[in-house]
Amino acid sequence: MGQVIVSGLAAGSTFALLALALVLVFKATNVPNFAQAEMGLLPAFITWQLMTTFHVGYALGVLAGIASGVVIAVVIERSCIRPILAHSESASVMMTIGLFFVLNSISGLVWDSAPRIIAAPFGSLYRVAGTTITEEQVVAIGVGVVVVVVMSWFFRTHLGSQMRALAEDRVTPRLVGVNPNRVFLVAWAIAGALSAIALLLATQSTVLNDQSGVAIILDGFVAATLGGFNSLLGAFVGGLVLGVLTNLAGTYVSTSGASAVALLIVFLVLMARPRGLFGQARAREV
Amino acid sequence: MRWQWSAAAAALVALFAAAAVFPHVANGYELFVGTEIAIFAIACLGLTVAIGWSGQVVLAQTGFFGIGAYGTNYLFEHHVPWVVSVLAISLLCALCGMVVGFPAARLRGFYLAIATLAFAELLDQLFNNATAITGGPVGMAVVPFRLWSLGVNVGLWYLSFVVLVATVVVLNHLGRSRLGRCLRAVRDAEVATGSLGLSATQLKVVAFVISALLGSIAGSLYGQALTFLSPDAFSLNLVIEFLVVVFIGGVDKLSGAIVGAAFLVLIQEALQSFGAYQRLIFGVALVLVVRFLPGGLVSLVPLVRARWRSRRSRPEPAAPQPVEVSAA
Repeated sequence: MGQVIVSGLAAGSTFALLALALVLVFKATNVPNFAQAEMGLLPAFITWQLMTTFHVGYALGVLAGIASGVVIAVVIERSCIRPILAHSESASVMMTIGLFFVLNSISGLVWDSAPRIIAAPFGSLYRVAGTTITEEQVVAIGVGVVVVVVMSWFFRTHLGSQMRALAEDRVTPRLVGVNPNRVFLVAWAIAGALSAIALLLATQSTVLNDQSGVAIILDGFVAATLGGFNSLLGAFVGGLVLGVLTNLAGTYVSTSGASAVALLIVFLVLMARPRGLFGQARAREV
Repeated sequence: MRWQWSAAAAALVALFAAAAVFPHVANGYELFVGTEIAIFAIACLGLTVAIGWSGQVVLAQTGFFGIGAYGTNYLFEHHVPWVVSVLAISLLCALCGMVVGFPAARLRGFYLAIATLAFAELLDQLFNNATAITGGPVGMAVVPFRLWSLGVNVGLWYLSFVVLVATVVVLNHLGRSRLGRCLRAVRDAEVATGSLGLSATQLKVVAFVISALLGSIAGSLYGQALTFLSPDAFSLNLVIEFLVVVFIGGVDKLSGAIVGAAFLVLIQEALQSFGAYQRLIFGVALVLVVRFLPGGLVSLVPLVRARWRSRRSRPEPAAPQPVEVSAA
């Protein structure tokens, strides 16, 4: 049982990171990014490619992967997202769905669906209170916590405050000299880095293939929904809770029970409490 | 004006004649493709009503599509006449649409997308697990329905064509009626509708129910087009395909669903063995359409026409006139 909970927390940490990226992009630019996981998948493949073909070390490979995640996110934001921000909401939803397709098929075409393994140097096992915890799981949970702390600190910085201001009101911050274009760019860049980290963590304990993004995007959305798409802490806790619940369902109910639980949770939460468990009710301008 | 009416009438007659002749000039494969286009068009016309007219990004259509297919086949297997099965299942879906539509009406934009997506995925899981009714992952064989004494596929083509035409006519009428205007009011200025005495929630639910009905009927037809039903046919991929149809075709106009359905089915059949390339093309098409042509492919027609007209009737630049300078 403890085993299940620990692996649930590790998986949940991955969902939480993806959810953080989703919430960040949504708060900053009001775009629900269905392509977020695919934007992290390409960096994971790039890391694998660097480590395999060019024999780059793990740390350097991960850093290169994260950097590529930032670059991909920036390119997408500039070329595809910024021009349509003024259009309707369904336009940005469809755009990100289209991008999801494009990125997913590029991954599938360049690297086929054969499973790859990124050789992470985390092999040790620990025994705590009768449960075996792998070093990978510790890394997953640890990275999640570190990211949340760093993000909370970031939002207290100058740029972070600008981002929060723009999320509340699109017009007034411009009067005090906030450059929305720069803020949007930074938001997407950070989200790109976060999703690269999320995908790297998600695939370190399993295999990496072109479906790795598809497998976790829904969980990312569910975790973000639990946080009301508003609160970073809510997204993080939501991700952990979701990871534990789906793992419990997967072990004690059935394998399809895991995804059914996630879907049921998001459906019920959206019907009963749309602002999520931790979010604040958002006021909308009309 | 009169020549416009005769032209429209002539076009309609030609269309019906072509449809009547089609099964006899096309081979089995082409007939299947045509039928598939018609069926997808019907299902996506439902989405045009929900997304295009009332502004709700509803991704649950595949669920109703699947219920239509599985439910009709199940009843038909148990000796309920086919047409009665179709009607009964579509009523069931309409009820489901009402049940889901009411809470869904409270959700905004993309929360609604997520909720309806979760609903569609839940139904997909249901198709996989309700083995007693749907045969589970193994699927169920379809009992073929014969329309009078026509061949199964021929009869299905006629049926699909007639249902498509009827749907277009009814929706066209609805779109120009008070209901259509109310729905568009809900889409564009929902907050203001209350001040006009319209219940936005009721209207949204009506749009949702119409969409569910059309999805169910299309699903019943689709069940007949496939000889075997398996849950794979109604998975997330189908959700995306419907969205591609609606948005590439054009979400505001009824013709958009038809054009989009043709685009989708033709590309799918052209690239049948290249699944990843299919997805790449759909993705690129979607990105380009959203970026440069938000009205979809059907908006090309008015654009081209406007540009052609302005080119034909551009006035001659005026010759420069000497300017009188008066002593002021």
